[in-house]
Amino acid sequence: MHELSIAQNIIEIISEQCIKSGFSRIESVNLRIGRASGVMSDALLFAFDAIKAESVAADALLCIEEVPVSGRCRDCNSDFAVEEEYILACPRCGGNSFRMIAGRELDIIDMEVS
Amino acid sequence: MKVKVVTKILEANERIAIQNRRLFDDAGIFVINLMSGPGAGKTTVLEKTLRLASGLRIGVIEGDIAGSDDAERIERCGAPVVQINTGGACHLDANMIFEVLGELPLHDLDLLFIENVGNLVCPAEFKVGENIKVMVLSIAEGHDKPLKYPLMFQESSALILNKIDLAPYLDVDMEKIRRDALSLNPELKIFEVSCKTEAGLPEWMDWLKEKTLKR
Repeated sequence: MHELSIAQNIIEIISEQCIKSGFSRIESVNLRIGRASGVMSDALLFAFDAIKAESVAADALLCIEEVPVSGRCRDCNSDFAVEEEYILACPRCGGNSFRMIAGRELDIIDMEVS
Repeated sequence: MKVKVVTKILEANERIAIQNRRLFDDAGIFVINLMSGPGAGKTTVLEKTLRLASGLRIGVIEGDIAGSDDAERIERCGAPVVQINTGGACHLDANMIFEVLGELPLHDLDLLFIENVGNLVCPAEFKVGENIKVMVLSIAEGHDKPLKYPLMFQESSALILNKIDLAPYLDVDMEKIRRDALSLNPELKIFEVSCKTEAGLPEWMDWLKEKTLKR
């Protein structure tokens, strides 16, 4: 729902990094977004494209790697990934004592600049 | 040329949230981020809590897209309150809280409630410097909510299941809410409450007092 403010944050962070590194143009940006982060990739792409003009990211392409939700079971000690945006029980032993270990990412990894 | 960035997109918010938390800790105050969908009864829960909280000094920050109805209701209960209007934003963020902290007598409070914008999605994603999150779900919203909006249930320490006086008129499966919410978050503390009949409120108040004083 707040993909626009997320896109604004991204543009601020990458513009600052780009200029600090002595470059003037961002060609592409790689993000890693967890499925349980609450951010919809399509909406984020749309928001980013809508506001990137007049920044050093004006021509930048946003590439999003979606990270599936995964967990670690405290009962059977196994790591597992799920299709859903949440974990209800360990798919291996059915136990519901687990810790989410991935799926909440909202990270900028790197970018191509010139 | 490739440049490594490796930055959390919400880093700016998290930095301010940590700064808020430090201010709260220095003032010796326990802070709860209170969240729910619109109309679940957050403000009514707060009104009841303020009236029943003997011995606890409580302040409130009200977050709404527009209007000051909630702050006026809290003021009538005699508690210090600040209203934030987000002007369209669907959640409160750490900076909005930081900007109003000067308007509250932090050092004279034991507990601060931050009532978030009514929304079952976004408020759960932004830390504002709270110690814990508590959510309200009215049973009239239906038993499918935990699995449709898992994040808030996962992030909360307690769930106030409100409006249980409506149970005879609804086809809601309360056991399913309980089961799914606990599957998402086995440590979730659930209070079945009716602000109308005041059922369940003593248990909530006991837990709240214990949390605040033991923090």
